[in-house]
Amino acid sequence: MAKRRDVLKGGAAALATTPAIFGGSMLPRVAQAQLCRPEGLITPETEPLSPQVTYFDQPIYIPPAMAEVDPSLLDPGPNNGRFRHQRFNEFPPVKFYIQQETEGYWNYHPTLSALADPVQKRGSLAWMFNNATPGETLVARYGEPCFVRRFNNLPHAEDAQIQEFGYPATTTHLHNAHVGSESDGFPMDFQEPGEFWDHHYAMIYARHDYREALGSLWYHDHMIDFTATNVYAGLSGMAIFYDHIDSGDENDLNESALRLPGGYGQYDLYFILHDVRFTAQGQPTYNVFNTDGHLGDVITVNRKAFPFHEVEPRKYRLRWLDGGPSRFYELAFFEHVEGGGATRPVSRETPIGFLSIANDGNLLEEPVDTTTIVIGPANRIDVIVDFSGFRGKTIDVLNLMEQINGQGPTGRRLQGPDRVPVMQFRVKDVNTEDNSRVPDFLRALPDIDLGEVVAEREWVFDHDMGLWTVNGQFMDPTITSAYPKQGTAEIWRFRNAGATWAHPVHVHFEEAQILTWNGRPPTGVGKSRKDVFTIGPGDDVRVFYRFDDFLSRYPIHCHNNTHEDNAMMLTWEIVP
Amino acid sequence: MNSRRNVVKALGLGVPALALAANAAAKTPVAADPSNPMLLACERPADSKLAKRFPQVLVQDQHGEKFWFYENLIQNKLVVLSFASVDGEQAYPIIDNLVKVQEMLGDRLGDDVHMYTVTTKPEVDTADSLKQYAAAKGARWQFLNGDPTSIRKILMAFNVMGSIHGLTWVGNQRTSRWLTKPSRVQPIFIAEAVGLLSTGKHHKPYLIDMRSTIA
Repeated sequence: MAKRRDVLKGGAAALATTPAIFGGSMLPRVAQAQLCRPEGLITPETEPLSPQVTYFDQPIYIPPAMAEVDPSLLDPGPNNGRFRHQRFNEFPPVKFYIQQETEGYWNYHPTLSALADPVQKRGSLAWMFNNATPGETLVARYGEPCFVRRFNNLPHAEDAQIQEFGYPATTTHLHNAHVGSESDGFPMDFQEPGEFWDHHYAMIYARHDYREALGSLWYHDHMIDFTATNVYAGLSGMAIFYDHIDSGDENDLNESALRLPGGYGQYDLYFILHDVRFTAQGQPTYNVFNTDGHLGDVITVNRKAFPFHEVEPRKYRLRWLDGGPSRFYELAFFEHVEGGGATRPVSRETPIGFLSIANDGNLLEEPVDTTTIVIGPANRIDVIVDFSGFRGKTIDVLNLMEQINGQGPTGRRLQGPDRVPVMQFRVKDVNTEDNSRVPDFLRALPDIDLGEVVAEREWVFDHDMGLWTVNGQFMDPTITSAYPKQGTAEIWRFRNAGATWAHPVHVHFEEAQILTWNGRPPTGVGKSRKDVFTIGPGDDVRVFYRFDDFLSRYPIHCHNNTHEDNAMMLTWEIVP
Repeated sequence: MNSRRNVVKALGLGVPALALAANAAAKTPVAADPSNPMLLACERPADSKLAKRFPQVLVQDQHGEKFWFYENLIQNKLVVLSFASVDGEQAYPIIDNLVKVQEMLGDRLGDDVHMYTVTTKPEVDTADSLKQYAAAKGARWQFLNGDPTSIRKILMAFNVMGSIHGLTWVGNQRTSRWLTKPSRVQPIFIAEAVGLLSTGKHHKPYLIDMRSTIA
């Protein structure tokens, strides 16, 4: 990808040839054709085709921001008993929230709801936060610590209506907040139905450095052995952190404010993608015996199947998040030609240009002018799309990434009618105000001082005897694989030893900057702070980490959650 | 261990009237195992939520007793299912570790928890060789082999390739919950998974409390 200025100069809007997350050239078509394994365990019975649902005929769901509660309602009060938090008294919470996890009904699509619940049409079965999936969005601000108490009010395993997948014990990870381990949703910190867990989000920058700000986060279940299926059942939601630079207010008079398109839910929108597979009865289904990963054939955005959203002819900030469990996307915007509803839409072939402004939720130094974004499970990319030139027109968002099994993408880009519908924007023919700006410089990256590096560690992601392994090892919660010292820096190297699979490698707690991707320095959106490094076949990535502010244990794992649940996770610990 | 009585019981309770009627219309049932006339060779029922995912094939344990894989060994049961072969054990032994799990399960083994190891080399392993191997290791659970085509169907259903497989499945088919553990993880974590997936008095969310505590 080119810098914004360069592209403007050239006037080019051609498809980038190399998706940024892979950092190198993809497998050629001929080579890939020889890499398929037999798919014996995928049959129409284990992974049925979903009932046909119509395209772009229901509005998207925009989760409301979480509503504060009166802290006197919390009994016992915060930081009590077993729920004590690091640095709680230094950063006492000023905002309090309660979330209830329950089993209920969710309207993925009217067609599916009619099949699942023909009489009352309440929807398909789901596990939800406060009766919705995605749960309400945590809209937080640096300097305003939050406290979230989450009650597990799911039914017991034997009583739950969702069967075949998931387990109703939960632990909620706020990905990738800079918080103490006890508030991080560690996989062993789970609660059973009837219990609760307290989360303290200190809302401090790493190292108190404004350059370490996080912007687009999400929260999701992280139950040991059941992360993929519990998230799939519905336990996910989004979070947005603002500060004096990225203030969420496009009319902000403060000189430091970027004034990006703002107003959560209005011009600042967050979209989580989950690919879901439904039974003939309209219920979500998941083949837990396919340890390669899960692929759904219905793309949901904010848990609505192929939705549309009406926008005004102006700039929008769109935050895209791949909620997994196993599908990778290359998303692009195309002008709609015809179709939709019962027939597959036809879209133009030339993609619409836009600006990428953040990688994994963290603002880039400079916006990148591009036509597609590539995201693997848990990756986030924020983009600025200007709809002002499309007054009264319709724009289709399509997925160009071919993927035929849960291991990872094939490396082929879908074209023409093979492009997969995701969602649609309908640009209203109205007059509107747009005071937002997209400055040429967004947020500086922290300095990388290799002189601080005290250790280099290698993490090799592989597959062995049916197990997904890291450094030849598999998840054992009693083993700690690395003890980085607080206040030091290290180089971590992530290597994919596989030939056919991709692993979105996620390290909790800290963001890292890419030093080299297959030996080359990063460009475009790769010049950023990241928490999920999606490594394709043979990829070898070196990144720079610092460890500060909190102590204790955090996991490193593959965010293809099916791989994670099949042992691709290790624990590391920050020590004084 | 599953006795003949259990098999009879499973046949008596597990076969829905509809399935029996359909079978009767199709053909007269014959004995699948000459030594056990109650083990009928008709089409097997697939009435549970996950039944369609498990092959309904005939297998035999190391004592030569025959079972329908799903109906007699999985349906309505809490199971610990592993995959190994006598050859594969030389390179990557898992049975030693599972013997420790067996000891942790105590009286529950064969009562409400069932352990099975399915051969990954059905062309090579025999009831006798498996019996010998299990006895030498002190394994008291069932080692399953059978017609290679049937066993391959089971291996395929669990994504098992090659003669060595490192995953053990723990599943409760009463609640339809299944999870995997590395077969060589510390045995207490496999026993813990059994406790997690147990219901009623045997249910335990964990055997070792590893939840965070801040002093």
